[in-house]
Amino acid sequence: MQFFHNLHIDFLGKRKVFYIISAVLIVIGLSIFFTKGITLGIDFAGGTEILVRFQNDIPTDAVRTAMDKTGIIGAEIKTMGNERDILIRTAEQGEGSSISDRIKEGLTNNIQGNSYEVLRIDKVGPKIGKELRISAIYATLLSLIAILVYLAFRFEFVYALGAVLGLFHDVLITLGMISIFHVIFPNLNLELNQGMVAAFLTLIGFSVNDTVIVFDRIRENIKLYKNEDILSVMNKSINTTLSRTVITSGTVFLTVFILLLFGGEVNRTFAFTFTVGVLTGTYSSIYVSSAFVVDIKNRQKRSKAPVTGKIAASKA
Amino acid sequence: MKKNRFRIFLTLLFLGLSLYFLYPTYKDYQFNKEISNLKNAQDSAAFFDKYSNDILKARDNRIKLGLDLQGGMYVIMEVDIAKLLNDLAKKQDDILKQVLNATSEQTKNTDEDFVDVVEVKLREKGLSLKAYYGEIRDEESTVKSTLKTEVENAIDRAIQVVRNRIDQYGVSEPVIQKKGSSRLVVELPGVSNVQEVRKLLQGTALLEFKLVIDPQIAVKVMEKINTYMAGGNLDSLMKADSLNNISKNEIKHDSLKIKKDSTSITSTKDTTKKDITKKDTTGNKKKDSSKKNITGKDSIKKEDSNTAGLTDTNLNNLDTNQQLSEEEFKKKNPWFYLVRPQQFQDGSLVWLVKETDKAKVLKILEKKEIQDLIPSEISFAFSNRSSFVDNGEKIYTFYILKKEPELTGGVVVNARSNIDPTSNSPVVYMEMNSEGSADWARITGSNINKQIAIVLDNVVYSAPVVRNKITGGNSQIEGMANIQEAKLLEIVLKAGALPAPLTIIEERTVGPSLGEDSIQKGLYSSLIALILVALFMVVYYHFAGGVADLALIFNLLFVMGIMASFHATLTLPGIAALILTIGMSVDSNVLIYERIREEVTGGKPLRTAIEIGYKKAFSAIIDSHITSIITAIILYQFGTGPIQGFALTLMIGLIANLFTAIVITRIIFDVMTEKGKTSINFG
Repeated sequence: MQFFHNLHIDFLGKRKVFYIISAVLIVIGLSIFFTKGITLGIDFAGGTEILVRFQNDIPTDAVRTAMDKTGIIGAEIKTMGNERDILIRTAEQGEGSSISDRIKEGLTNNIQGNSYEVLRIDKVGPKIGKELRISAIYATLLSLIAILVYLAFRFEFVYALGAVLGLFHDVLITLGMISIFHVIFPNLNLELNQGMVAAFLTLIGFSVNDTVIVFDRIRENIKLYKNEDILSVMNKSINTTLSRTVITSGTVFLTVFILLLFGGEVNRTFAFTFTVGVLTGTYSSIYVSSAFVVDIKNRQKRSKAPVTGKIAASKA
Repeated sequence: MKKNRFRIFLTLLFLGLSLYFLYPTYKDYQFNKEISNLKNAQDSAAFFDKYSNDILKARDNRIKLGLDLQGGMYVIMEVDIAKLLNDLAKKQDDILKQVLNATSEQTKNTDEDFVDVVEVKLREKGLSLKAYYGEIRDEESTVKSTLKTEVENAIDRAIQVVRNRIDQYGVSEPVIQKKGSSRLVVELPGVSNVQEVRKLLQGTALLEFKLVIDPQIAVKVMEKINTYMAGGNLDSLMKADSLNNISKNEIKHDSLKIKKDSTSITSTKDTTKKDITKKDTTGNKKKDSSKKNITGKDSIKKEDSNTAGLTDTNLNNLDTNQQLSEEEFKKKNPWFYLVRPQQFQDGSLVWLVKETDKAKVLKILEKKEIQDLIPSEISFAFSNRSSFVDNGEKIYTFYILKKEPELTGGVVVNARSNIDPTSNSPVVYMEMNSEGSADWARITGSNINKQIAIVLDNVVYSAPVVRNKITGGNSQIEGMANIQEAKLLEIVLKAGALPAPLTIIEERTVGPSLGEDSIQKGLYSSLIALILVALFMVVYYHFAGGVADLALIFNLLFVMGIMASFHATLTLPGIAALILTIGMSVDSNVLIYERIREEVTGGKPLRTAIEIGYKKAFSAIIDSHITSIITAIILYQFGTGPIQGFALTLMIGLIANLFTAIVITRIIFDVMTEKGKTSINFG
């Protein structure tokens, strides 16, 4: 069996169109991100969160009334996956005899005939929340820099720059997509937590992985087709690696999609983020990273007389 | 062929190692299944007794499950520096309180050093650190650096106190780790009583000096218990047990002697103003319940008699009993079988208990019938660590103490461990305040040649023999085996004198049913993913796809094996990483196969095509793996708990994949082509 054989698609010829598509998607996604925002999970916001499972289905209103009676005002109350699992979240942390005990008390006293079991309690202080936020940002930036350095060493600085640009693109698109899905399907309970940061870093790893494979073929083909211009060498490389790209992205997509469907609530944020990431990561290898290299190389050629990818050849 | 032989050898070696490391996990699973199949508690107790060594060994070496999978509590605590500095100050006035509050507020969101900020704020008010923490002659900079060390040391004391309590609370496989300079991470698997644990972690440490009861009296009490139990009572508590002799190891006694010339003990800040409340927050309710009817302090006769006479009277029958068979001894002396008396040449007597029997001993002592036999002024405690190891069993010393402490830790002003330059042995200097010194002189004076136990939260850390009457409050404890032990004693003495106040800044509890839920969902999705990916590979690449699937299975096996050998923890995100590994691990083979197909299409013979395919795909595989590993390492560095589990699993998966996808599949193709095959189905 073979999906693609002897393809000659001019991927990069229409790259300008895809620049526009990417830009539009990013603008829409980010404007929703900045206006509607995305729920900050307890990891980053701090506060107390308690997940309980009731014996029988229970309306969230009943839980809200119980909380109001206990004096826990403004708590966020929602169902998780089914009508029995209720998540209660409040910004308070409570000193000493903490807020989670009060919540439990309130549930026991005010909801009769429907016993519950505590599945999970999380309490994160504001200091920790802030530290986690900072370390998440550092982690993302640091991995981008590390990748930039490694690829600059293995390929050429332009390629490294293209790859990292692709990564930025992926992170932004994914962030936008999460915002959009969060607005349309609030029941997905997508929120920015440590799991999502892990997903972002993993998608960075995956996306650069995909880009590297295309670049690797370009590195090889530049030596083989010394007389062809960069655009056609790149197109050739993308065409020959397309089969692998589709298969790998397909299997990875398949596995995370299964995780999204069957992995449960806890892994959902991770799975969703990464599912989007696989798609954009594959796309960006071609239409952001490779396209960027083509444009820069062409500009260099225009300004520097006839150089046809010899820099790359000599370096590789 | 030679090359292949080496590769095959490597593969088999890794396979063997993986299976070897995974075996305990399998065994543990088997044991758990068998135990859960047993109907009543008695059967499972018998089963446990029979296989206890194997069960414990399997449990120690299995792949650990993270708290998110098995349920439990994860707590990060921080030393409350403001409270510590308040406690440390010579005087606690409103200005200091104001400054400390303002500093807490300011440092909440910055990385500034607490002590530095306090200094600045005090200076703004025209004051100095010296005014609160130093003497007139002290340099401001010395005061500051001492304070900073004090803050840094606080976390070590806190760790010791917390570890001590958790050990007594009886959590299996707790993790207690220092994080940064002022934080403490505690992981308690299987624990869900949040309130109790919180109390356990945050309570004030209680340091006490307790008199060790005279051997004669102790023996009488113990014999009463023994006789009672031998009468067939409490039989249910005595379960079948493997029989081990306790060898007559020499136990060194610490000796406490006076050091009149105490110039080596520096006088530091006076920290004894606060009152250590006698609140027993250790969670050791067993002991609490026995604290009734505390009568007069001096109800125990203080005889200065030498203990040599003991051998001839009370213990004589014990020694002969030891020549009986173990079974008989156990039957006749059930209590002395658990708590073994051990006499030394100098007449001193110690009681020894096997680690596995500790809980049993405490349980028996808790019984009402036994409580009635014990004089109300007596209490019991274990040593902090095993005194020695016998046949792989840790043996603890069991102390019989006077319940009422002679002194509490509040009187200790300072403690310092060192190596004595003259004898070249470890020594701990202890300094008391004037009030304590007077009491100490009286206590030591009337208890010469007796042991005084240093007890922290009801655990005995040392029980030195008093050599002289100690006046002036400067004591010197020697006889510790090494400097680490001395250091520990110093920490313990300080923990009582200067508690390190802890605040919980992060607390996560996972109930057991959520963990089960997660495991099920995680395994379920892994299995589906594995089957689908494997199927696809066979459909697309036919025979070669099957080879890649084999490599994939090897990969998963290696990942689990490596994790087991590292004692790494499998978390829920870790399972996600495993699923991701499944997806990514076929990538390398896809790359190679696509190349081979290209070469075959280009007209190359199979053997050459395979050669070139592997060679050309190699650079892409290496580069892509390294970049992925880089991000995994960074994730590991920045993440906490479960996320680190994800990063670690992914990292191991990537590294294992380099071997399985490149080496193992290659072996198969090479062997086939060498055997003369000219066509292999690459789909």
